[in-house]
Amino acid sequence: MRIPILKLYDCLLVSIQWELDDQTALQFQEDLLHKIHEIGASGVVIDITSIDFIDSFIAKVLGDVISMSKLMGAKVVITGIQPAVAITLIELGISLNDVMTSLDLEKGLEKLQQELGE
Amino acid sequence: MENQSCVNIQTEWDIVAARQLGRNVAKELGFGIVDQARITTAISELARNIFIYANKGRVCIEKIYDKGHAGLRIVAIDNGPGINDIRLAMEDGYSTSGGLGAGLPGVKRLMDEFDIVSSKGKGTEIVATKWIR
Amino acid sequence: MNRIINKYIQEQKEYILKEWVERMKEKSDERVLKVVSNQVFVSTSREFVEMVSSNLNDTNDEYSERLHDFAEKVVKLGWPLSFVTEGIQVFASLVFEGIKEEKLVSKEDEMKLFYGIDRWTNPMTNEVVNIYSTTWERTVSLQKIALQELSAPLIPVFDGISVMPLIGAIDTERAKQIMENLLNGVVKHRSEVVLIDITGVPVVDTMVAHHIIQAADAVRLVGARCMLVGIRPEIAQTIVNLGIDLNQIITKNTLKKGMEAALELMNKKIIQVGEKS
Repeated sequence: MRIPILKLYDCLLVSIQWELDDQTALQFQEDLLHKIHEIGASGVVIDITSIDFIDSFIAKVLGDVISMSKLMGAKVVITGIQPAVAITLIELGISLNDVMTSLDLEKGLEKLQQELGE
Repeated sequence: MENQSCVNIQTEWDIVAARQLGRNVAKELGFGIVDQARITTAISELARNIFIYANKGRVCIEKIYDKGHAGLRIVAIDNGPGINDIRLAMEDGYSTSGGLGAGLPGVKRLMDEFDIVSSKGKGTEIVATKWIR
Repeated sequence: MNRIINKYIQEQKEYILKEWVERMKEKSDERVLKVVSNQVFVSTSREFVEMVSSNLNDTNDEYSERLHDFAEKVVKLGWPLSFVTEGIQVFASLVFEGIKEEKLVSKEDEMKLFYGIDRWTNPMTNEVVNIYSTTWERTVSLQKIALQELSAPLIPVFDGISVMPLIGAIDTERAKQIMENLLNGVVKHRSEVVLIDITGVPVVDTMVAHHIIQAADAVRLVGARCMLVGIRPEIAQTIVNLGIDLNQIITKNTLKKGMEAALELMNKKIIQVGEKS
């Protein structure tokens, strides 16, 4: 199953709705980078409200995709990280230091507009 | 045994099966949402370690009771190459597979009790326990 | 052998009771005598002696039930455990000496007598210790729950700004609780800035600081910002002396200053709308 990536003006919108297995995560990484390249996106919002856990593998894939997008000139905001997910990530020792985050999709888009406007 | 169920780890999909089993058992025992996430994540890390380093093995989830406390025990066993230097493997940021190196020390932090036995060439057994608060 | 012991106790009950009370009064410290009035002491002692001797008559079930009730009564009275176990020992030795003096058993059987008494008092001591420790465990776990309920609430103050006041010492258990409350609160109230007020935290050591840093990191992950306020001079000193790096977190010395900074972050301002009357 592939994760749908939507285009909104010069931004990409991704909402991950189900538990990620390794293959889907890697496929997503590839798809997103292609899409950024294809439309020349300058911002990406990834909403993970529905995800109820992230292990170090998924965290690495997410972190990688963010760094890769940055290299391609697109800023990424992650939105909707659940409290339980945030706590487990921190306890695992993964702090995703350079990642922009927002409470929800709406605030994520606002933040992206602000960042891109500057 | 009624209180124990196992998943054989052979493919990537078995990692998903193992953590779903763990989450269900944790839910059943009455763990809170955060602890459920902790347990699921720990299982995912351990199952993935088996898949990456030993190719195949087994993850067992056990309900345990002690002095009126309920808990969940994860046992991860494989017959893989074993861990060369356990102390090193327990250090944050150490990885031989290009991962984040958060797996084993992370699991230790996520769970209440953590025990690892590994001998080179024979395999690894990890037992981790979480008690209901 | 049991029959001899039983007969002796039944016949000499009054004497044993008197002796026992005398001896225990000598042994017990001020503490016990202060909390227990003389009358209660004697009547409870009578009950104690009754009960100890009843062991030989009652069936097991009856006895353990009585012992249970009695132990709980003693706990309520505030008799220290050492006093109760001492009491059983004194009682045993009273019976032993008494039977020896009256020459109810032959010299050769004295050992048997000793073991007979021991076999009968030992489970008693165990049961009492058992009940004491379960009572304590229960108290401890109740207090733990009470402490958890004291754990920090997150208070929404303005749209997007919340405050979490921390009071009292923080251990690992509590830190986890606080972290959960904090994050759930932030998401529930949709707070963009949250101020953690540590005015009421007596000591900030590396462990506490570590938890605060973790909490701030987690708050950032869910998409909000964390500010640490209420940093007293001595806490600033310990933080720097311990070499703790709090540079990633915005810190202010008072909640007031923190609130001003939070409003600024949110592009908000409090203005006075008219002259004071």
